[in-house]
Amino acid sequence: MSRPPGRKQDSHKISRELFVLTYGALVAQLCKDYEKDEDVNSCLDKMGYGIGIRLIDDFLAHSDVKRCRSYSETADMIAQVAFKMYLGVTPSVSCSSAAGNEFSLILDKNPLVDFVEELPVERASLCYCNLLCGVIRGALEMVHLAAEVTFLQDRLKGDAVTEIGITFLRKAEDKKAKKK
Amino acid sequence: MAVCIAVIAKENYPLYIRSVPTENELKFHYTVHTSLDVVDEKISAMGKAMVDQRELYLGLLYPTEDYKMFRKLHNSYTDIMCNPFYNPGDRIHSRAFDNMVNSMMMQVC
Repeated sequence: MSRPPGRKQDSHKISRELFVLTYGALVAQLCKDYEKDEDVNSCLDKMGYGIGIRLIDDFLAHSDVKRCRSYSETADMIAQVAFKMYLGVTPSVSCSSAAGNEFSLILDKNPLVDFVEELPVERASLCYCNLLCGVIRGALEMVHLAAEVTFLQDRLKGDAVTEIGITFLRKAEDKKAKKK
Repeated sequence: MAVCIAVIAKENYPLYIRSVPTENELKFHYTVHTSLDVVDEKISAMGKAMVDQRELYLGLLYPTEDYKMFRKLHNSYTDIMCNPFYNPGDRIHSRAFDNMVNSMMMQVC
């Protein structure tokens, strides 16, 4: 599908409720299909990965972004451009390691959990939004950045904030590779 | 201010019921149950009218309460329905719903 770059997203607006309910139905069904929370989490991650490897092209086509020259710029790009574009929220970014390869995204608002007050008692270790981790991981992989992405804190589990940790796994050797 | 709030499933059992703690709580429960007959009456009288929010509020048994109260209740109810982990027909166990109900109940010292 070819689209002119930088085209506004307004014409693609769909109902937020529908999106949130769809995601909820997906997670609820996975919970029925798998007994263990780890299995649900890993399934969500895999699905997210499948979305991420495809979404990256859409992202690069629609956002007029320059090459990222560092991990820090990449993390900023994810938080300030990608999250804003797809979820309408802007998490705050902080670097959590001296080596400069570990970052945290703190989500103040998360539309995916609009209607979920708290996790069911029997699903205490479910990472409800684990799909997001897979999406980020898949998208980064397509621009030659290997990363581990996990939830470090989750409001649904009783933590104070929701925090996604991104750890870039090796120095990007090929500086000419286009980074997200 | 309410003294008793109840959410009844279409199978006529309560999904959520809360009253101000008094001695004759049972009386409230009976009142809720008999009001179901009034609800049935009103629904059958409406025929095939479009069910919008205004008509969901079928009217008061006694003309005292606020429409706003019903609206708040109904909005909280739809939020519960949207929770993917809530199965329709389950009892309602939600802190947010409890808080909303608390704010509407009469304070008994």
